[in-house]
Amino acid sequence: MGLRDDIAKILVPEAELQRRVAELGQQINGTYSDDDRPLLVCVLKGAYVMLADLTRHLEIRHAVEFMEISSYGAGTVSSGVVRILLDLAQSIEGRHVLIVEDIIDSGRTLDYITRNLRTRGPASLRVCTLLSKPDRREIDVPLDMVGFEVPDEFVVGYGLDFAEEYRNLPFIGVLKDEVVQRRLGE
Amino acid sequence: MTLRKRREMNLPDSVEKVLLGEDKIATRVAELAAQISADYADADDLILVGVLKGSFIFLADLARRLRVRHYVDFIALSSYNRGTVNGAVRLIMDTRMSVTGRHVLVVEDILDTGYTLHYLLRAFHARKPASLRSCVLLSKPERREIEVPVDYLGFEIPDVWVVGYGLDYADRFRTLPYIGALKRETYE
Repeated sequence: MGLRDDIAKILVPEAELQRRVAELGQQINGTYSDDDRPLLVCVLKGAYVMLADLTRHLEIRHAVEFMEISSYGAGTVSSGVVRILLDLAQSIEGRHVLIVEDIIDSGRTLDYITRNLRTRGPASLRVCTLLSKPDRREIDVPLDMVGFEVPDEFVVGYGLDFAEEYRNLPFIGVLKDEVVQRRLGE
Repeated sequence: MTLRKRREMNLPDSVEKVLLGEDKIATRVAELAAQISADYADADDLILVGVLKGSFIFLADLARRLRVRHYVDFIALSSYNRGTVNGAVRLIMDTRMSVTGRHVLVVEDILDTGYTLHYLLRAFHARKPASLRSCVLLSKPERREIEVPVDYLGFEIPDVWVVGYGLDYADRFRTLPYIGALKRETYE
């Protein structure tokens, strides 16, 4: 498959991803009760693959919501302040909210989202992210559940894209430098 | 006993029975993905448009099985007052990418009356895509009120309330890993 030729190395293989996502599911089962009925807020597009697999392991009652956001600034550098393209369809006042993210990079976007959601008066607000890049952090954001800490490389797959591609790779891979350079030059 | 078997034997109270088990769904999704990969082997610019919320699990599994380059995008819809105006839906979030000149495959969880998909196909057609097809996991032919083309279909099912694998009842049961039939007394 052409997509796989663009991958320099596999950072997290499929089996390891699946095992870890199952563990995160168990962690969520242990954190909340049926009565809490947490609302999982999936940040599109990147987290949708993770959400699909994560929720298969949930045994507690829960509901799912989606948010889609877009940064105002161009390029891959996050400016923090984002535009909400799709907001939650229901109120979260008094609800237990768990934000589900694919990756935490600078932390600015997540910081903005959590501040925004906190103004709505949730009973609790936690964050579950598949990946975290601690080297990139510019702002301190508390992460309650983290799948993997990864180095500061161009990671794709399992929902994560580069120029909207590679989201469907079932593993986390690192893009070849020449692919990144070529695509940035296009 | 496998995790899947255990899950399918331990049903929530409101669920009558498993209509489609995890293995059966996975097999069929892989078949659909193989067919789509073959059909779009030479197509540049394939874009899968998932309809929220129901299709996200189906889309996640389908896309991972595809062997052709593609983009993924989402739209969110809401129906106006249920039961008043036939099939009128409101677009809450449009696709982020332009579909003009691209091969568009609309991915839906379930086809019921057909009004929603009919609306979507008309809306996308107006944007002049290179091609336009639909991929639907479940279809309830008995419920159809308007004819709508389905290019890739997972399963035909009877007219019962189904939950799981993206489908909900009052926002519950959406993430069950199988597709279950709800007990009639739950929704009647």
